[in-house]
Amino acid sequence: MKTLARELKAILGQAGVIDDPTRLVPYESDGLALYATRPELVLLPRDTDQAARAMAVLARHGTPVVARGAGTGLAGGATPVENGVLISTARMRDILEVDPEDRFARVQAGVVNTQLSEVCRGHGLMYAPDPSSQMACTIGGNVANNSGGPHCFKYGATSRHVLGLVLVTHAGEVIDLSGPWVDPQGLDLVGLFVGSEGTFGLATEVTVKLVPRPPVVEVLLAIFTELEAACDAVSEIIAARLQPSALEILDRLTIEAVEQSVFAAGYPKEAEAVLLIELEGVETEVSGSQQEISAILNKHGVLSTRSARDASERRDLWAGRKGAFGAMGRIAPDLYVADAVVPRTKLRALVRRTVEICRERNLKLANVFHAGDGNLHPNICYDRRDPDEVRRVLEAGRLILETCVEAGGSLTGEHGVGLEKREEMEIAFAPEDLETMCRVRDAWDPDRRMNPGKLLPMRACMELRTPSPRA
Amino acid sequence: MADLANRDGLVDYAKSLDCIHCGLCLQSCPTYRITGLEPSSPRGRIHLMRAVAEDRAQATASFVEEMEFCLLCRHCESACPAGVRFGEMMEHTRSRISTHRGLGARLARWFGFRVLLPNRRGLKLAAFLLRLAQKGGVLRLLSKLGGRFENLRYLPPVPTGSERRPLPRKNPGRAPERGNVALLEGCVMPELFGKVNRDTCSVLNVMGYGCALPARTVCCGSLHAHNGDLDGARNLARLMIEDFEALGYLPVVVNSAGCGAHMKELHHLFEPDDPWHARSRAFAGRVQDLTEFCAENLDSANLGPVDEKDWPAPVTWDDPCHLCHAQGIRAEPRTLLSAIPALQAVDLPDSEHCCGSAGIYSLLRPQASGEILRTKLEALESSGARTLVTANPGCQLQWQSGLLRRGSEVRVAHLAEILASSLAAD
Ligand SMILES: Cc1cc2nc3c(=O)[nH]c(=O)nc-3n(C[C@H](O)[C@H](O)[C@H](O)COP(=O)(O)OP(=O)(O)OC[C@H]3O[C@@H](n4cnc5c(N)ncnc54)[C@H](O)[C@@H]3O)c2cc1C
Ligand code: SF4
Ligand code: SF4
Repeated sequence: MKTLARELKAILGQAGVIDDPTRLVPYESDGLALYATRPELVLLPRDTDQAARAMAVLARHGTPVVARGAGTGLAGGATPVENGVLISTARMRDILEVDPEDRFARVQAGVVNTQLSEVCRGHGLMYAPDPSSQMACTIGGNVANNSGGPHCFKYGATSRHVLGLVLVTHAGEVIDLSGPWVDPQGLDLVGLFVGSEGTFGLATEVTVKLVPRPPVVEVLLAIFTELEAACDAVSEIIAARLQPSALEILDRLTIEAVEQSVFAAGYPKEAEAVLLIELEGVETEVSGSQQEISAILNKHGVLSTRSARDASERRDLWAGRKGAFGAMGRIAPDLYVADAVVPRTKLRALVRRTVEICRERNLKLANVFHAGDGNLHPNICYDRRDPDEVRRVLEAGRLILETCVEAGGSLTGEHGVGLEKREEMEIAFAPEDLETMCRVRDAWDPDRRMNPGKLLPMRACMELRTPSPRA
Repeated sequence: MADLANRDGLVDYAKSLDCIHCGLCLQSCPTYRITGLEPSSPRGRIHLMRAVAEDRAQATASFVEEMEFCLLCRHCESACPAGVRFGEMMEHTRSRISTHRGLGARLARWFGFRVLLPNRRGLKLAAFLLRLAQKGGVLRLLSKLGGRFENLRYLPPVPTGSERRPLPRKNPGRAPERGNVALLEGCVMPELFGKVNRDTCSVLNVMGYGCALPARTVCCGSLHAHNGDLDGARNLARLMIEDFEALGYLPVVVNSAGCGAHMKELHHLFEPDDPWHARSRAFAGRVQDLTEFCAENLDSANLGPVDEKDWPAPVTWDDPCHLCHAQGIRAEPRTLLSAIPALQAVDLPDSEHCCGSAGIYSLLRPQASGEILRTKLEALESSGARTLVTANPGCQLQWQSGLLRRGSEVRVAHLAEILASSLAAD
């Protein structure tokens, strides 16, 4: 490692290579602190060129590499690997270009999601995907995890907004796919890369699509005395072909936690569930759907509905929703966020089942989820210092996933597979499918040095006998 | 310094468990923003503390460095949905670290915290010498040494002796119609910002209040608490509480956000079963920042236009960290400014970000402090403001020296100065 560090310092400068053992400690985990592995080194390149040259050195040494954005991932995707180094994009945070006429922006991978939104605001544009972690997470991390957010119900997840990429391969080659192409030419490598969780290579620059800000926005807060009724209302709004821009549910425990936090939004504490609905468009469009939605809410026994008075109340209501995960820190030291997608017609039954699964295991559960997308986030409180509780949490997590997949849903809504759900991939995919995925992976990274052990189950890739193209 | 472990109670472990590792605080942190380093972020610092407490890491020199690199601006607390009490954790850890320092550092700290700060005569002498050094060009010479000394050249000039005269102990001016309030004069304030104190008094007088000053209190002890001298902070807290109680249980008005934040939280210094805990809580209940007090009690009908010569428009408000993050005061100063007739005010982008002053931080770490200030200066430029208003002496000094260095004409005012100017208009 000493010679490796020396070579890397020659490229990245003293400050661009962290090798002090104490300073490496905080890099051992991402947002899922259940897993921890210390990296040998942390590298902080400033641009594509530095990243490429560093990667070439790492290739020569055969060192495994894990990319890290802000480390807000909830599946252990950015957890370092044994004897590996971490490449942090935290110093690649320049906005390279904003083109309001052609409605795209080109940014370095470490640019923070809200930073991009801020820059676009002045042009009447926005970058639509808005993960709840947007004040911290990076565009590179969003690309790698194909992240979603409340507004992705209307606008689609990150993959729908990436127009181009600059990539550095495992060997240190630069692939410039920076576009912006609305329709990719030839094989859509950009599309393939989005969601690859750092196993294909390092994204250093991202070209994203910008969309116009809607002229009118209305946020409704619907209060329910029953969580299941709120679920039913959502199912019916979807079935009625209405298209709000966001549909989010928070249950009682979540509301309590949020209301105690700095993000207290004025959610009523006596509610069993609140449904947050955002409508946008032109005036008539918004008021039209508001009426239809109100009728549906009433039918499902809504206790009351009110709309946010002004922009600042809208902001507060959203801040409360987005602070929900963190606010749970008041309830327990750790939080396990399951992330599964279910058919939206089955919300009620599946939410009920998750409640049962946790109750049977004596676990504290809070539900807050992107209801519009059928993306459940059962949040299970625990303390990582209690091994038995950790075991029960993981068991519950697995059962919830199995239940959702059985019901026709999918393994991950937006947080990715990472380390956490790697083995569960076998629930959702047949061995042949996994094998195909490993082949695609090998095409990008034949030595399997990029984020090894993530995303694809170990076994599937180990057993794969395809000779690597280099061999 | 040898590595430490948590057997000496280095870390407030229970509080560290509140952190859920979500990372939402990262971008709020000035040291993370300038370095991009996880160990220099709130989450990283808490992670390190917890690792030390769990014996998974040693408190090495780099651990100590990361703890001291923090500005204790507490912006992370405003961002943290889990309610992590970062300030308290950091004060705790720093106080334990400081018992392990080398002799030289201990001596310097002893002199600064125990001899100089609590002693009016010492402070006066220091201000006098500093002024002499500025006048005689000694500082300019020193600044040629570069490094830590370079900044000395941009220290705003120490005011003249008459500017530095203390407030009269007996309340001047007309008889108070609405009674007295107790005022904290502060340690450095009278030496560097005597005018702000006098303006504060005159604002309160016009509002109908007399100002009562405690007999012995010089420094409130916030600098001590932030820099690891909790014992020193406790001594000063006891003295101050007694001193203010002796004035009768008056509202305590503070015009320095850093002091006010500390005075509202004195009870953190004492264990719950210590009688001083309850006493400091009661004291804290009477403390109000000047902006709070004025927003509540000032009749805006008395406000006239401010003097454009002194304070050219547009003006902008910069939130001192210890006002917005530590005391949660954001609306009051804005309300006051907007009540002033014909005052053109503009928003300062990222006004809640730290300016890098942080008590004595700007003296101890001029480079980091300057880098943090740089983005603030750019924000100020983009706002087009010609007067920047704040409510904390440290911030005022930091802005002044940054603007001086840039050769900028923008003026820096304490809100008390603006209010005084507005109330003086006829
Ligand atoms: C409070 C909270 C709320 C959240 N809410 C949402 C939400 O609403 N929707 C959602 O989808 N997610 C959410 N998440 C999860 C997480 O924020 C997202 O997955 C986010 O995209 C991760 O970004 P990051 O920069 O933190 O990446 P990291 O966590 O650092 O990394 C994530 C993955 O991306 C890889 N990676 C990072 N940068 C690069 C790069 N430049 N090139 C290649 N690979 C890279 C890493 O190796 C890792 O596998 C939330 C997390 C938290 C803590
Ligand atoms: S107090 Fe300020 S400098 Fe210290 S960790 Fe928090 S945000 Fe960063
Ligand atoms: S926001 Fe709070 S809970 Fe989240 S990482 Fe920062 S300190 Fe920890």
